[in-house]
Amino acid sequence: MLFAIARLILGAAVILGVLYLLVSIYARSLRREALEKEWAREERAIARDAYVKRGMVEYDKSLKRRALLLIFIVPPVVVGVMAYMINT
Amino acid sequence: MRYVKWTLIVGWLLVVFAVLHYTLPQHDVVRIVNTEIRRMDFGENSIFWASEDVGTDGTTVNRDIRFIEAVRPDGRPSVYRNEDTGWGWPPYLKLDSSNLQAEAADLISTRDAPIWVAITHYGWRSQLLTIFPNAVGVERVDGPDVKFIPWLNIVILTTLALLCLLFWRMWVQFRERTIDPLVGQASETWDGVELRAQEKRRIWRRWLDTWKRKDRR
Repeated sequence: MLFAIARLILGAAVILGVLYLLVSIYARSLRREALEKEWAREERAIARDAYVKRGMVEYDKSLKRRALLLIFIVPPVVVGVMAYMINT
Repeated sequence: MRYVKWTLIVGWLLVVFAVLHYTLPQHDVVRIVNTEIRRMDFGENSIFWASEDVGTDGTTVNRDIRFIEAVRPDGRPSVYRNEDTGWGWPPYLKLDSSNLQAEAADLISTRDAPIWVAITHYGWRSQLLTIFPNAVGVERVDGPDVKFIPWLNIVILTTLALLCLLFWRMWVQFRERTIDPLVGQASETWDGVELRAQEKRRIWRRWLDTWKRKDRR
């Protein structure tokens, strides 16, 4: 039984890990694009690369970026609650 | 080529539909007439059986399976198996088969004094393969014609659709921001090669020209 649970947890971790990786790359890409467009909207003293880089450093520290970690929390909790409900 | 493409697409959609139809829960309103345990020896239909009770030895070739026999309001029979799905597929995490069997036995009724119940189940019934849907839950309902809104299915299918949308958007973004620039770079590089080659040719031609006699021109 322990083996079966371990297999389930491992499988879920791998799938969620891949999903997290993909989503975080996607979210970064979206943010970078938004920064580039933001830079182009008006005349700025700062160079484009520097502006985007600064924005990305800020983004890496932001709550929005960390909220992506919920990918590891929400699905297992939902599945756990559903399993509990089904079995009672 | 177009036929091949469409055959593949339709085939793929059919497989997806079949898997979802098999796996997602459905409700049947029935009257339970009997519960029993039968030993099953799995053969070609073994893929349609779930797992042994959680915690028990799963290495034996056959095992006893709980069954719930029921009759629909129109008199047609429908038979369910009652197996743990445990920690495997499909992800119902159902561990309470024994309890469910007791609940089902408690709701047995006769034709004259029917107790209508809704059995939540997944899976298909096939006489040809001897496979049965797996009962997941049983609940008493008011009458034979209650209707259910499949909330869980709506949520699951919506989530799947959103995931598909997300992956599609990801792919578009990736193509736009990573692949297209690379292709652009490659063609730029190629243009550069062409230009340099033209320049070389020009120099070569000019040098060749220096050997020609001036007065001919």
